[in-house]
Amino acid sequence: MPSNEPDYQLMRRVAIGEEDAIAELYDRFGGLVYKLSIQFLSNNSAAEDAVQEVFVRLWKTADRFDPRKAKLVTWVMLITRRHLIDCIRRKTVRPKSHELGVHNELSATDELHASNILTQERNAALWQALQALPEMQRMVIERAYFQGFTLREVSLQLDAPLGTVKSALSRGLLRLREHGLKDSSAL
Amino acid sequence: MTKEQYNYKQLIELAVLDAHGLLEPIESDLFNRSFHDAPVAIQDEIIQMQRDIALDESLLPNETPRASLKKDVLHAVAEAADQEAKRLAPLALIGARASAIQGKLGSSKQTYIWRTAALVLFGVAVVLGIMAFESNKRANRVAQIAMNVNTTSTIAEVVGPEFRSFIDNPYCHVTRLEREDGDNDGYLRVAINEKFGGGYVVGLDLKDGEEIILQGTTPEGKVIELARISAGAPIVGSYFDIDKELVPGLAIVAVDANTGKRWI
Repeated sequence: MPSNEPDYQLMRRVAIGEEDAIAELYDRFGGLVYKLSIQFLSNNSAAEDAVQEVFVRLWKTADRFDPRKAKLVTWVMLITRRHLIDCIRRKTVRPKSHELGVHNELSATDELHASNILTQERNAALWQALQALPEMQRMVIERAYFQGFTLREVSLQLDAPLGTVKSALSRGLLRLREHGLKDSSAL
Repeated sequence: MTKEQYNYKQLIELAVLDAHGLLEPIESDLFNRSFHDAPVAIQDEIIQMQRDIALDESLLPNETPRASLKKDVLHAVAEAADQEAKRLAPLALIGARASAIQGKLGSSKQTYIWRTAALVLFGVAVVLGIMAFESNKRANRVAQIAMNVNTTSTIAEVVGPEFRSFIDNPYCHVTRLEREDGDNDGYLRVAINEKFGGGYVVGLDLKDGEEIILQGTTPEGKVIELARISAGAPIVGSYFDIDKELVPGLAIVAVDANTGKRWI
């Protein structure tokens, strides 16, 4: 895979802690990592901390980058998303599973409003796109993606088969993306 | 270990979840194996789709980081590297002793020790990376460096001689385990020989005093204790017996013997 060879070499250099390589990695992806961090976390300071932690994690896992399986940007964003979900799981006091049942008065959407993730102006486009999704897709995205519940937990909370949760989540994420692309092309 | 495969629709679904970091480690491992077994055209489609997802900024906030964040990032990585080097300092000393015998010590002992530490750290990273490869078809120039006798010998000296037979073994499937609670300190790599049975677990950078129980769960739900390792050194390892008949479908997890916390 010759087109990925420079990325592979870059990650070899990152793995041994070469500062120039880490600087190059930051120059290419730092902005993207920051934008995603600030979408997930409630303030700039937390997002900046997360960016630093993500790059430490990228250094630690650089030897696992396989250019035959993914582009470098995919790898970087995968590590970033996993880290941000870990952050939410560690730092957020999540409602207990039984408190998030579909019949509970406190719905996941209310939790989401209160969580300060999507209510900020910066995430208005995402919030609008979420509202346009079918209820099941919206619920699983809110719970799995923004509240950090595992897919098995979501499956239990919604009393839905795991396969159904996976399908709804996958379809919902693709529709969100289509919605975003349509909006951005209309600007 | 398990040979569960996904069809095209499932693969695409899982590829979306994988790109968003939403698969649990075991599911991610299954997805990766199915991906490698998929036709090249489907692999290319998945690679392209995941790239598009990663690059999609349409719903992201339109904000840029402050310019000085780059400096903070470089500092954070350098600091983490320093800490890692200190933790693995005993390995550097092993290397130093070996070279001293060969009369290759440099003029500055301190500089030499740090250079040795850097070299050994590089060797450890590369060898552990090689363990993740599923086939010797993937061997390349880096693998040849990693297979350097001195590097392998150094690690074998630390974790035990059986370690050698699991390096770059095409019959070995390697599973990486991380702490379920998200704590990033240390990890485990478990290599199991799917053709002949037997396995090896290596623990890297575990916390002082930790004792880890490695367990396998058969598809019938039977739990087997495979090995126990204690964190007495930066790298610890142990060979374990496992019948090859039990390997298919075996789910590997580890449990902290003191706290009960899981590694998945």
